[in-house]
Amino acid sequence: MRQFRTARVFAAIAAAVAIVATACAPSGPTSGAPGPGETPVAGGRFVEGSFADIKTMQPILSSDVPSSTVIARLYEGLIQADPKTGELKPNLGKWTVSADGLTYNWEIDAGANWTDGKPIIAQDVATAIKAAGKSKKTVRKTNFQDIVGWKEFAVDGTGDEISGFKVDGANPKKFAVTFSKVFCPALVNVFGSSYVLPTQVFGKYVTKASKDEIDTAPENENPSVTSGPFKFKEWRKGDQVVLDKNSTYWKGAPLLDQYIFKVVADSTVLANQLKTGELTYGTIEAKDYDDIAKQENLAIAEFQQLGYTYIGWNVSSKDAPALGDLKIRQALAYGLDMDAVVKNILFGHGTKMVSHHPAVSWAAPSGALNQYPFDKNKAEQLIKDAGYAKGSDGVYAKGGQPLAFSIVTNSGNKTRETLLQVAGDQYKQIGVKVNQKTEAFETMVDELTTGNQVIQGWIIGWSLGLEPDPYSIWSETQIPDPANKKTGFNFGGFKAPGLEDVMVQGRAPSNGDCSQAARKKQYEKFNQIVNEQQPYNFGFAANVLAVTPKNLREFAPGPFSTYWNIEKWWYKQ
Amino acid sequence: MAAIDVAIRAPQAETAIRRSAGLWADAWYRFRRDRVSMAAVSVLLVLLVLSLAAPLFEGFLDYTFDQQSLIDAYSQPTLAKPQFVLGGDEIGRSQFIRLLYGGRVSLAVGFFAALVQLTIGVTLGLTAGYLRGFVDDFITFSVTVLNSIPTLFLLLIIAALFAPGTFTLIIILGLIGWTGIANFVRGQTFALREREFINAARSIGASSPRIMIRHLLPNILPLIFVLAAIDIGTIILIESGLSYLGLGIQPPTPSWGNMLTNAVSYLNRAQFLVYGPVFVIFITVLCLYLIGDGLRDALDPRLKGS
Amino acid sequence: MRNYIARRLLYAIPTLLAISLFTFLLTRLAPGDPINLYTFGDPNITQADRDALRHTYGLDKSLPEQYVDFLAGAVRLDFGKSILYHQDAGKLVFERLGVTLQLAAAALTLQLLIGVPLGVLAALKRGTWIDGVIRVFGVVGHAVPGFGLGLLMIILFSVTLRWLPSQGYLTIGHADWDVVDRLRHIIMPAFVLALAGIANYSRYLRTETLDVLRQDFIRTAHAKGLRESVVTRVHALRNALIPVVTALGGILAFLVSGALIIEQVFTWPGIGQFAYASVRQKDFPVIIAATMLASVMLVVGYIVRDIVYAVVDPRIKVT
Repeated sequence: MRQFRTARVFAAIAAAVAIVATACAPSGPTSGAPGPGETPVAGGRFVEGSFADIKTMQPILSSDVPSSTVIARLYEGLIQADPKTGELKPNLGKWTVSADGLTYNWEIDAGANWTDGKPIIAQDVATAIKAAGKSKKTVRKTNFQDIVGWKEFAVDGTGDEISGFKVDGANPKKFAVTFSKVFCPALVNVFGSSYVLPTQVFGKYVTKASKDEIDTAPENENPSVTSGPFKFKEWRKGDQVVLDKNSTYWKGAPLLDQYIFKVVADSTVLANQLKTGELTYGTIEAKDYDDIAKQENLAIAEFQQLGYTYIGWNVSSKDAPALGDLKIRQALAYGLDMDAVVKNILFGHGTKMVSHHPAVSWAAPSGALNQYPFDKNKAEQLIKDAGYAKGSDGVYAKGGQPLAFSIVTNSGNKTRETLLQVAGDQYKQIGVKVNQKTEAFETMVDELTTGNQVIQGWIIGWSLGLEPDPYSIWSETQIPDPANKKTGFNFGGFKAPGLEDVMVQGRAPSNGDCSQAARKKQYEKFNQIVNEQQPYNFGFAANVLAVTPKNLREFAPGPFSTYWNIEKWWYKQ
Repeated sequence: MAAIDVAIRAPQAETAIRRSAGLWADAWYRFRRDRVSMAAVSVLLVLLVLSLAAPLFEGFLDYTFDQQSLIDAYSQPTLAKPQFVLGGDEIGRSQFIRLLYGGRVSLAVGFFAALVQLTIGVTLGLTAGYLRGFVDDFITFSVTVLNSIPTLFLLLIIAALFAPGTFTLIIILGLIGWTGIANFVRGQTFALREREFINAARSIGASSPRIMIRHLLPNILPLIFVLAAIDIGTIILIESGLSYLGLGIQPPTPSWGNMLTNAVSYLNRAQFLVYGPVFVIFITVLCLYLIGDGLRDALDPRLKGS
Repeated sequence: MRNYIARRLLYAIPTLLAISLFTFLLTRLAPGDPINLYTFGDPNITQADRDALRHTYGLDKSLPEQYVDFLAGAVRLDFGKSILYHQDAGKLVFERLGVTLQLAAAALTLQLLIGVPLGVLAALKRGTWIDGVIRVFGVVGHAVPGFGLGLLMIILFSVTLRWLPSQGYLTIGHADWDVVDRLRHIIMPAFVLALAGIANYSRYLRTETLDVLRQDFIRTAHAKGLRESVVTRVHALRNALIPVVTALGGILAFLVSGALIIEQVFTWPGIGQFAYASVRQKDFPVIIAATMLASVMLVVGYIVRDIVYAVVDPRIKVT
């Protein structure tokens, strides 16, 4: 229902980034640091509330937030994001990149081991990548396609091994992966999104003779050997997943006894269960903030989300040609009081957005952008400049065509429905007529991704990953084309001079320089273009409102990770 | 749906037997004397008139049903600003005026969907019961199939197919809920078709449609009103349930169901928004059931309680 | 009787076939492609990946082919693999059946335990204030929107008073067989689910009991000088209960189907809640498996009802 839709949107949107970044701006009090003289005490359970059940505990099959959340407690990744900056850091493995940018050399931590006591070795990384190659149901395959020998192994089925993956003969914890071309997102997409899988369990599913047995492996539902701070105990379907602490965890045994992932009906129920103590962790909606803030036993940590809710414009719409006019799009930016929207819909727990990358991302522009401050007169002036004149009904028109279009959003998402209604009302005041529509999420997704031209304006959200590459959303190669049954995420058919080039240089630079600084320069230009062109009214980024009991210690979610130090969390008695 | 079973069980045995102008007059006389029923009718009429007069209130309060005022969001119920006598919603719309407009939508859905159900149910029930044979087999089979799919599952799948507007929702609910009525009418027709006056009509060469409409239908009609009253109430409840699942009337069009759903999600912030929709849904459905009860008792005085 | 049962079972086959075709068409004709939904927003998914996934799930075949595939599997109780869970759809649904049945059984028990005595009492105390109160309840119980009542009860009993847990069926860490804990969880959803039925039964039983009380054999019993309580207990009640049996089929339908919303309100992890989530995500195999399972239960329920009816009511003869 409501909750479900909200959750699902973000679930569905969550990119194939295993390090699910819960981005946040360092602000607000948290239950945080231990007070002077406090000594950690072991024990207690951590109960997280979610609107949807997990679907699987197989990393290569997971494509939703609940599953990824539980999987991340069970399996360790090679790298992790710095909670404060999002910078990629060694976790299970340390890496170096060759001068040509094609080969990544890795060494796995000497002390890292599986719950069955066996060491975690290079072969286990290979098993994970091979599992993706064998699976018919994974959505990850494309991540690995640039690895040398991938095609032979995964597509043709001729290789027993992936030739570009080489294990060091002298040290089974060392390996090297060679790519056929330089591709900056590879670090996150390949090494960040694939967990390391125990060969002693999954090896038998990824032999040369294997077909897709990995997709139905019993260990997907009942993981026997894992590497994370917690280990699997029970999955009561539709209700909860129970994990016990892994006392042999390589970073040290967690202080918490159990981690429990519990399904609840909706945001209101989630807030209520936090109050009653049935849950000890959940992210609430802004509407429940005041109610929770009043509770003496609860603490709220607030961060900016790495994603945004926006109004998109179909710039190539034949039925709403006005949206193809830059002046009109800019007028629509000036004519909607987004600060008031943030204040009223999010109760101030959010930030107005004027370009693609949210402030917490390293790719966010540091230069000055047009903030499009609310200005009705300027909006109307721009509409007049575009050749429109106000009719007797108060609606602008040009050549007998009124300045009118539809905006659609998915039903059940209260924030978006409210934004739609406010936008409709405010645009009416600048002489623009908006036909407000709500549709089922699944219908809307279909219309958007297939390029159905009934779409004129739409409200939806993007949840961005650790990897800031905007290509799949903004490239002109990603414009859906119904005639050729081509789908893509550039729903509005947006193109702009120079845009394609900066995006390509940001992901596959001709000089091979994948450094953050070099890429940031490209995204600076990228954000300037979309800021000026207004293919979206970029809407707002809501804050994440993470609630825990006040007596939880060491809970310190940084901008890019909530759980990075979960093994150190403890409850003060 | 279960409500229908109850309503139709008891009187079916003998009401059909009598058919005279006296039945109507008697029933009406008894119905009028039933204070509870008359009170229910009055309340319902007041709600109906208020809903129909919604535009007048808009003019009077100088506030339209879709008018927003962000500074009045979650405004507590107050007499100082008469448009917020029942409070303001999350974007400062008047809860009062929206309830009136919601009444238009919800009552229309209830009334017209019941009409569709009755039309289909009565037509098919009469046809099956009178013609029997292959037609009866086919209709009975359709009824069995539809009855064997849990109603809400079916509604869920169909409502996900179309994004329901007022009209589509009426059609969907109408197309799904007719089986109980058809079954009932079929049973009644079965019993009636062998009676003398039908035989007489047939022997003088009256056509099947004529017999069904002129002779059978009037005998069944009184109980149809009982069914209709209860049906409308049930449909209003189903609409609110569908709204909760996000499959009812879609915002910004207000309906009682989606207003209640909306209010529920702001429960921790503005509890007062819940009471209006809950109250009107409750009162309306209650009145409809009371009227159904009263009608049944009036048609069959033997069953009256005291 | 054996013939009758055989015939009914035979009749169930075309019924279920029609249901499967109906559900199949309704789900497939609906807009929204499960693969587009499943991969929405994933920046690394290409057109080719989507096509490959569609092929894996057989969604690239024509509708008649897909239906034949479905039927071929369905007769072996294989409904295909869930698109989201990558597991057998039939198994996933079946795992949740027990939880739904628990709730339905609890609701049915409440309905009978409360509704039947209320109805009989009202009939016996006809015309008194007791009758009045029960009759009012009989109508009021119907008129409450279930999810609204459920949420208000959660606010009152779970959040404010903290007497009862608000969600799920078992407290974390409690053993499966902890009956007290289970009862504490089930009481609110079962009550909300049962409310309309309780009201229904009280009305129903009142009418039936009045009906029976007026019949000749009761008068005879009175004439014989049997005490009032004996008359009631032995004669009236037994006869009045016959129609109650016939109502069970409809009640079962209502409970299985009506549980959907209540399951959602109380996060009761049954098939209704699961079917709802699957419809929203276009998980075709699960939708069909859930609908078919619920339908089979209904069809069987109707057959059992009719047989029981025939057994308890000697006036009905089945051939």
